[in-house]
Amino acid sequence: MDSERAARRAGWKLMFEATRPQARWVASGIGAGFVWTAAKVTVPLLAAAAINLGMEKGRSDVTLRFVGLMLAVGVVQAVCTGWRRYSAFRIALRVETDLRQRLFAHLQRLHFAFHDEAQTGQLMARANTDIQQIHMVVILLPLTVAATLTMITVIGILLYYSVGLALIVLGLMPLLLVAASRFSRKIQPINLALQEELGDLSGVVEESVSGVRVIKGFGSEKTQVKALEHEADAVLDNALAASRLRALFLPLVDFIPTLALVAILWYGGHQVLNGQLQIGDLVAFNAFVLMLIWPLRMLGMLLASASRASSAGGRIQEILSTDPAIADRPGARDLVRGVGAIRFDNVSFGYADGSTVLDGFDLEIAAGESVALVGSTGCGKTTVARLLPRFYDVREGRILIDGVDVRDATVASLRRNVGIVFDDTFLFSDSIRENIASAEPDASIEAVRRAATLAGADEFIDELADGYDTVIGEHGYSLSGGQRQRIAIARAILADPQILILDDATSAVDPAKEHEIRAALEEVMISRTTLIIAHRPATIALADRVVLIDGGRVVAEGSHEFLLESSAHYRQVLAHAQETEAADSGTAEVPA
Amino acid sequence: MRGAWVEGGPADEELDREQARGLMRRLWKDLAPYRGRLLFAIALLVAQTSALLAGPWLLAIGIDDGILASPPNPGVLNLVAAIYLGLALASVVLGVFVIRQVALVGETFLRDLRTRVFRHLMSLGLDFFEREKTGKLVSRMTADIDALQELVAVGLVAFVQNGLIFVGAVILIFLLNWQLALFVLLLVPPVIVASRWFRNRSNRAYLEVRERVATNLATLQEGLAGVRVVQAFGREGAFTKRFSKTNEAQYHANLQTVRISVRYFPFMELIGVIGIAMIIGIGGGFVERGTVEVGVILAFVLYLNNLFEPIQQLSQLYDTVQKAGAALHKLFELLDTESSIVERAGAVDLARSGAFSVDEVSFAYTGSDYVLRDVSLTVGAGERLALVGATGAGKSTLAKLLVRFYDPDIGSISFGGIDLRDATLASLRERIVVVPQEGFLFAGTIRDNIRLGRAEASDADIDAAIDALDLTDRFAAMPEGVDTEVRERGSRLSGGERQLVSLVRAALADPSVLVLDEATSNLDPGTEMVVERALERLMGGRTVIVVAHRLSTAARCDRIAVIDNGRLAEIGTHAELISQRGHYERLFAAWTSGVTMSRTA
Repeated sequence: MDSERAARRAGWKLMFEATRPQARWVASGIGAGFVWTAAKVTVPLLAAAAINLGMEKGRSDVTLRFVGLMLAVGVVQAVCTGWRRYSAFRIALRVETDLRQRLFAHLQRLHFAFHDEAQTGQLMARANTDIQQIHMVVILLPLTVAATLTMITVIGILLYYSVGLALIVLGLMPLLLVAASRFSRKIQPINLALQEELGDLSGVVEESVSGVRVIKGFGSEKTQVKALEHEADAVLDNALAASRLRALFLPLVDFIPTLALVAILWYGGHQVLNGQLQIGDLVAFNAFVLMLIWPLRMLGMLLASASRASSAGGRIQEILSTDPAIADRPGARDLVRGVGAIRFDNVSFGYADGSTVLDGFDLEIAAGESVALVGSTGCGKTTVARLLPRFYDVREGRILIDGVDVRDATVASLRRNVGIVFDDTFLFSDSIRENIASAEPDASIEAVRRAATLAGADEFIDELADGYDTVIGEHGYSLSGGQRQRIAIARAILADPQILILDDATSAVDPAKEHEIRAALEEVMISRTTLIIAHRPATIALADRVVLIDGGRVVAEGSHEFLLESSAHYRQVLAHAQETEAADSGTAEVPA
Repeated sequence: MRGAWVEGGPADEELDREQARGLMRRLWKDLAPYRGRLLFAIALLVAQTSALLAGPWLLAIGIDDGILASPPNPGVLNLVAAIYLGLALASVVLGVFVIRQVALVGETFLRDLRTRVFRHLMSLGLDFFEREKTGKLVSRMTADIDALQELVAVGLVAFVQNGLIFVGAVILIFLLNWQLALFVLLLVPPVIVASRWFRNRSNRAYLEVRERVATNLATLQEGLAGVRVVQAFGREGAFTKRFSKTNEAQYHANLQTVRISVRYFPFMELIGVIGIAMIIGIGGGFVERGTVEVGVILAFVLYLNNLFEPIQQLSQLYDTVQKAGAALHKLFELLDTESSIVERAGAVDLARSGAFSVDEVSFAYTGSDYVLRDVSLTVGAGERLALVGATGAGKSTLAKLLVRFYDPDIGSISFGGIDLRDATLASLRERIVVVPQEGFLFAGTIRDNIRLGRAEASDADIDAAIDALDLTDRFAAMPEGVDTEVRERGSRLSGGERQLVSLVRAALADPSVLVLDEATSNLDPGTEMVVERALERLMGGRTVIVVAHRLSTAARCDRIAVIDNGRLAEIGTHAELISQRGHYERLFAAWTSGVTMSRTA
């Protein structure tokens, strides 16, 4: 409960901080709100005066004078309402945009371990729905200032004219605020549930359309229809619950002001009969009651959404206050391009779940050497590859590149020197050229082409209608798994790192095609230190030395042939790989 | 009309008059079961609106005949106030009923529409699904019906009510004083023009906002999904800058909508003041001449709101109604799309077993060349036939024809002597089952997914099917056994486990003929073996036709059919085809050399 309150306080602080740069807009918006309020309450007063002093007394010149004044005040009112609205929305949009930018920039800097834990969907919700909640409140705040002012002024005027009437209005109208805030609070969970049900429903539809072959194959259309009916019923129930709530609230919202109007007519009418009020005042009173409706409803909404917004702010603040675990140490120096000698010195490491993956791992790799890391799934070979560019920090021990602890180098220079091709190839929704040139956006097309040729990608890229300008990704051209991997390899080649890590980088490439890339890889490996993680014996054989890893340690090393002869474990690991390989070699490259 | 509905553009397009009329007629017809309730709700709505509109009129009577009468008449004032109060109370009660009634009718209609559209969608042939993008079909059921949902939930009552209020207010002010009413109505055209301007401009602006938001979200999503690559290449700065571009674009698009609204809403406030000024200024003259009483002036001021507010509201709602109309139009068109695979009248059940016979079959997908040409072959009961050939040769298409996902354009396919087109769909799906490449799973438990094979199967049947493939231990080892939730698309299971579930599903269906589309993806070696074993058990005693991607699989079959460029090139046993030295022999040679190459490397 306390942490909840602390999170909310952090949320409010965040909102306040984010709004502070907009102080001038806030001030001008509130200023415009003041003038607007003054103008707005003056109009009914002028109308009352026109009736009381002009119309009732048969003096049309007086009436017209007041009418003229009303029009002038009306113009002021219109200008000010425009200005205050513009300020309010502009502030809120600016705050929203800035917060989202801050959040994105921060997420880009956060370490791998953070992203391993966080789900993309959750982070999207932070940057999207949570920020919208804040947007709502920030818009409402300056508007509410004007609204509150309107209320105070109106109440003051009512008290001045007729204490009795003021008390009636004061007794009734706050009910509106209560109703509005209760309604907002109650409808929120129902709407959320409704959204969720609609999501479930579209899930069933999406699945049924995607899996239509299965459904048709088994003739199980009826089962799916039943599943959908179930969801549609749930949607119906929720929608009806929402409508029941609306059915209570909306008529009530109309009823409360009407009640006030009835009171004004009856009580005010009697006061006029007694000579305590003039007839024009009734007109003004009616106008004032109508004027109170929106401010009160808005205030109610604000009350309801404020707590949601502060929790949303708290969640965002939680991310923003997470510091990147992988950052430059004070006094960190740029890693100058050296010879690329690597040393893992008694390295221990485990992921956030507490498991130990590497335990006293020692490995030395000479400059320019190529080493294949081999082992069964989960042995820690990918972890080794991810510690080197400092995607994670070691728990114990150290990793040295040319004698420098990777933690003493600046992260940027380290990663420029260590290139990696991931096992799950991620390409951006950009042109192929931009993807290959990720590390060096200014690279010439010749350089891009050279890298692509080395990676065995040039040929298929040229066959595409737009060649290197072909846009790939979700809304663009979709490549096969092997093609994607070849582009990822080209990307790493173009970066020209001193140390290159190929993490299962050719697994989806057609074996026949891999044969060609293998030659290219050999050439790429000549001038740099290379770590290869692979399952195919042919790829493993590219390396000068093979290191067998098991249980987080090096258990054997030597040449491929040597290990084949000397290590039963090595033969076993390879046998598994080979079995799949042989079974699969008739397979064409299939689009992913 | 078939397929025409997909040509429709985004939901925002407007329907022409003819379409709109047709739509209304059809909607009225479809609303038949709900018509009584709907008319009742509208009657209540008219009553409620009348009660609301009576207020200012009563006020005028109270003032003119009560307060300002000479001598003043407090009795009239009391009576009028009491009636006013009574009407207000009545309007609350009526309001509650109206909203609930309309919601009940509307939401029930939507629920029925949802299931109707979905049932129809499920009845359509596979050609339809291969022609249409998944996203488009899903949006029929989601975005389009949601557009209707919005109308039903908030729009419908407001639309009718505002229309009634406007018309009612115009009538009432004319009855109060037609001269003054004419002056007031002068203000209506500018309000309508301004509202239309606002609607059009802000529509365009919001369309832009939606696009910008979508782009920005896409950048955001990509930045998160690709954060590891971004960091590996040290591109954090560049990516943040890139996000800043789409983020600022979203800001500016939003600000544009604000600019439009800060022109419109102040104008409307000004018009309101002008209206009051006019009523008092001009009405003041009438009062002096004694043609109008003060109470009437007051009533006019109050009715002013009832004139302008509905125009604003209707202008906003116009959009909701338009969108709902466009959505409904598309939904009706979908409902009008006919299925390509239907059961003939007098269709008979397929026999339990028999031979498959493909007789001079040619087939082309709509709008393309023949994919299969003049293919004839027979598969005996209990025989295993492999279909091999290059990608695009037509082997998968042939498999689809065998299970009647499509009908041949020329020739026929029969099972046990009965043309598939003359068979009942139920018996066809029961006898002949296709197991697709990747085991496609639905959200739910493993048991739910298996039961898809035969909806009426008991838990014991399912256990038996699992046992038949010798997978009891394997499934028992899962977190909650067969009750393990697999999540969307079976994401909680590995690729191999998904295939196993898919095999058990086929075993539960217990078909006579099994059409297998062999998986091409890699499985880890351990699982691979389990899948192979389960598959072998599943195939036992059944006719099997396998679309083989691996020649090792093909070599294990009784006979092999080589499809080349849509024609049956060769058919025979492995040994026969090798000795023929044709297509198959070449494929096989290439394959064996590939295997040895990786062995010796």
